[in-house]
Amino acid sequence: MMEKQKRVFTLRLVVVAIFLVIIFRLFHIQIIDNSYKEAADNNALRYEVQHPPRGEIYDRNGEFLAQSVASYDLMVTPREMSRDGFDTVTLCRIAGISKERLERELKRANNYSRRRASVIVKQMPIESKLLFDEGNYKGFHTVYRTQRSYPRKIAGSLLGYIGEVDDADIERDPYYRSGDYKGFSGIESAYEEVLRGVKGTKVQVVDVHGTVKESYKQGQYDTPLVPGVALTSSIDAELQAFGEELMEGKVGSIVAIEPSTGEILMMVSSPGYDPDQLVGRERGNNYMDLLNNPRRPLYNRAVMTRYPPGSTFKLVNGLIGLQEGVLVPSQKYPCHGGYTIGRGVKCHDHYSPLALEPAVATSCNAYFCYVLRNILDNPKYGSVKNGFDKWEEYVRSFGFGRKLGSDFLSEYGGYVPDREYYDKTYRGSWNSLTVISLAIGQGELGCSPLQMANLAAIVANRGYYYIPHVIKKIEGQDSLDMKYYEKHYTMVDSKHFDPIVQGMYDAVHTEGGTGRVADVPGLEVCGKTGTAQNPHGKDHSTFLSFAPRNNPKIAISVYVENGGFGSTVAAPIAGLIIEKYLTGSIERTWLVDQIKNTRISYPNYDRSR
Amino acid sequence: MIGAGSTKNNRADWLSVLVFIALMVIGWANIYAAVYDETATAGFAWGSQYGMQLIWICVSLLVAGVILLIDKIYIHQWTYPIYVVLFLLLLSTLVIGKEVNGAKAWLVLGPVSLQPAEFMKFGVSLALARYMSEYSFSLRNPSSLLGVGLLMALPMGVIMLQPDMGSAIVYCSFLVMFYREGLNEWVYYILCVVVGVFILSFFLTSSVLVLLLLLVCVVWQAIANRNPRESVIYLAAVLLISGALYFGMNYLLMKELTYYSALLWTIIPSLLPVAIYAFRERLYSIYAFMMLLVGAIFFSSAVDYVFNDMLAIHQQKRILDLLGIEQDTQNWGYNVNQSKIAIGSGGFSGKGFLEGTQTKYDFVPEQSTDFIFCTVGEEWGFVGTTIVLALFAVLILRLMRMGERQGEPFKRIYCYSVAGIFLFHVAINVGMTIGLLPVIGIPLPLFSYGGSSLLAFTVLFFVAVKLDSGEE
Repeated sequence: MMEKQKRVFTLRLVVVAIFLVIIFRLFHIQIIDNSYKEAADNNALRYEVQHPPRGEIYDRNGEFLAQSVASYDLMVTPREMSRDGFDTVTLCRIAGISKERLERELKRANNYSRRRASVIVKQMPIESKLLFDEGNYKGFHTVYRTQRSYPRKIAGSLLGYIGEVDDADIERDPYYRSGDYKGFSGIESAYEEVLRGVKGTKVQVVDVHGTVKESYKQGQYDTPLVPGVALTSSIDAELQAFGEELMEGKVGSIVAIEPSTGEILMMVSSPGYDPDQLVGRERGNNYMDLLNNPRRPLYNRAVMTRYPPGSTFKLVNGLIGLQEGVLVPSQKYPCHGGYTIGRGVKCHDHYSPLALEPAVATSCNAYFCYVLRNILDNPKYGSVKNGFDKWEEYVRSFGFGRKLGSDFLSEYGGYVPDREYYDKTYRGSWNSLTVISLAIGQGELGCSPLQMANLAAIVANRGYYYIPHVIKKIEGQDSLDMKYYEKHYTMVDSKHFDPIVQGMYDAVHTEGGTGRVADVPGLEVCGKTGTAQNPHGKDHSTFLSFAPRNNPKIAISVYVENGGFGSTVAAPIAGLIIEKYLTGSIERTWLVDQIKNTRISYPNYDRSR
Repeated sequence: MIGAGSTKNNRADWLSVLVFIALMVIGWANIYAAVYDETATAGFAWGSQYGMQLIWICVSLLVAGVILLIDKIYIHQWTYPIYVVLFLLLLSTLVIGKEVNGAKAWLVLGPVSLQPAEFMKFGVSLALARYMSEYSFSLRNPSSLLGVGLLMALPMGVIMLQPDMGSAIVYCSFLVMFYREGLNEWVYYILCVVVGVFILSFFLTSSVLVLLLLLVCVVWQAIANRNPRESVIYLAAVLLISGALYFGMNYLLMKELTYYSALLWTIIPSLLPVAIYAFRERLYSIYAFMMLLVGAIFFSSAVDYVFNDMLAIHQQKRILDLLGIEQDTQNWGYNVNQSKIAIGSGGFSGKGFLEGTQTKYDFVPEQSTDFIFCTVGEEWGFVGTTIVLALFAVLILRLMRMGERQGEPFKRIYCYSVAGIFLFHVAINVGMTIGLLPVIGIPLPLFSYGGSSLLAFTVLFFVAVKLDSGEE
């Protein structure tokens, strides 16, 4: 009987033990281990990303520079495709791809996931989408995205282009996911965070087949999409288009600034490209073409190139001389074919001796050699090296040798040599004659066209500038970064600018002036030519100018590589642009044609092809 | 309500009847949730699974009422006819059965499909109760055992021919009842060893496994016979001799000999002195341990054969997946993985009725039948699963208690059979959904969709209640 009771007890114990084991296991998977909850969410929840339209970019008059238009990505979910095949020929035609490419993409999609959608073709225009909707392609669908469109087809490198993010971008900024787009240069890149907007998410519950069944918790966890913010650029589209037209066939740049605000009115980098080329199906091929073009159209010369400033730099030396008191406007210096002391600097033919104003107007080399030596050898500073330090300080106050802080991320800072540089080069033994070429803007000096335009703005303002910037207004914001509203004074007092301005006025308006061709009757154009020697062949033709003389509305720097004398190409371009901007029309249409038809040959670029 | 007509039998076990009905209701609610589709038009669909199941519940309750109304004596009298009729029905499936999921297990009678194997459990339970309660019956008597074997083997054989392994394995549940009736406990020890060796053979090398078996047998024996000193000496001797043999052969005689062989060459000859020792000391149980050890060693070397040649590929994969040796959540392990995800995602209190995304949106396969427990786990959480399991535990313990309440062996044997069947179904089914046991397709009583299973469990249970009722 004992045995029976023992067995009954054992059996009950076994029953209880079995249930306890099961409950313990349930406790583990339901309460302790969280991985099952995640797995369940992975199973049933789909996070559908909603891409915001990118912010649009307007010119200063409200005209579209860059628009966002609807585009569609063609997607495929392999397991939902019809097993009996489909009309591949029509689909390829609609999507604009070859049959091989379609097959390759389908295979790739299949390898990625049979249940989830993969992209087959990106950025199809709306016409393709409408055609696609007419057919019944099981397993395929389109997803709304936006893509850029450029109604004016101008300002390619200024606006920048859009491209897909790479792994490094995703690493750096967790906002991005594979397949997202971002701005790669120009405004698109500088204002990326404003333009891109905020992606939205929709959390949806799907069944085992991936079919959407409902919105998860009535959309409680959805995040709304925020469209990108529109920007108003300070660019004048008319002027920009005109500038690009004038620069056809030439390599170089035009930068125009409104002196009273620092707003960039135009920024031409030539050769340019049609920004629409970098959108849509042909983007890849076009991009490679542009990238391999030896004249480098993708490269924004206006802010990224280093040029010798040339004679336009004489303005700076003149101003420093006046401020330092080593030069008075009436001071005359002789010039017979150049400056003859030391290695010497040649000069062209003009009357002699002359005072400051005519020296500016005729761009006398010798005159500014005297001026520079007076600055550097000023006994006040004890030694030429100390004098040089002072000179360098002045030059930097004009925005040279450093980044101006504009809204171009790729801005080139330029180069102003310092004392250490010459100590190293000449092993400590150098004097004002050694560095004499600085007098005429040659030698080691390097600056970007943006810095030159800024110099024009400084002279126009008689002594100060606003940091040049290309964005006028960000929608929904009252102001830009405060740094753009701050006046930056040079170390030269306002009163010293008068003789320099007079010289620039005379250069355009008097017989023998170098900028005669820039004259537009009634507009009081002031200008200074430059003919910059450079190691790449023929001299660069440059012109620095502003107008009108009082209360200037536009300051401009034109740089035409290998264009020869400043007066031949750069000066007429500047004149035409000023005329166009201030009067809204062009009187001298013959000059426009002549400039447009001027083609300069660039053996140093084209040879490398 | 059920016992309305059984006024004179007031001693029926109303608590277990209540538990039974509760499980039935909860089970139905879960089928409703498992097949629930929000997008379907409103209204109650009789043709759907939950509609059909409700009809079956009504039928089952009707049958339960009838069982409670008839006189107990008839049950005893009709035992063999019931067995024979059910067996013939089962047999007929081999000829006129409808094949579902690879098994010819269904009889189609007009709109109703029945699975005779489900009812056969009832027939066998009754027949065993009748046969084993005869005065001449003894579990030690070979001819008696043969009778029991026949009563079970006949239906099992037919079910295996269908083939429906799950339903066949259920017959192991009678081991519960046999244990209560006094079947030699060595049967159970050997079963444990077989299962243990089978599992361990996947994880241990053969020599370690043999050493482990030796250790278990010797220690067990030492406890039983209270001879720890001799046992330790024996173990030490075996280790020493086998080690010496191994090193001697490999490093002195330069003959290659695995440690496994060295062990066998030590253990098998050692059995002779052990046998002499057992004879002299009159510790006869040592012979049983010797046989167990030899059998286990023999079985361990045969596991590979059993696994590779006697099991179908899907059975092999399910076992490998369970043991965590081979993870394949996309194919063989898909069901169990999804089932665990559904149950695990329920958390403490579950997602709420009709809120289970995993079951509602078909991530769990077979969710209204074999994997119905997932719905419980996902929508009602740990609280729900524990309550359901507690109800089952109460039901099973209650059935055992009914069996123990004074009365004739017929009732006791029958009640224990039913308790065993319930226990086995619940343990195997729930164990499978939470990855404790390999996937074996048997229903969860009162929960899984299917009329045959529901009706069969109702009959099984209410006959037990009836037999228990009205006793003095």
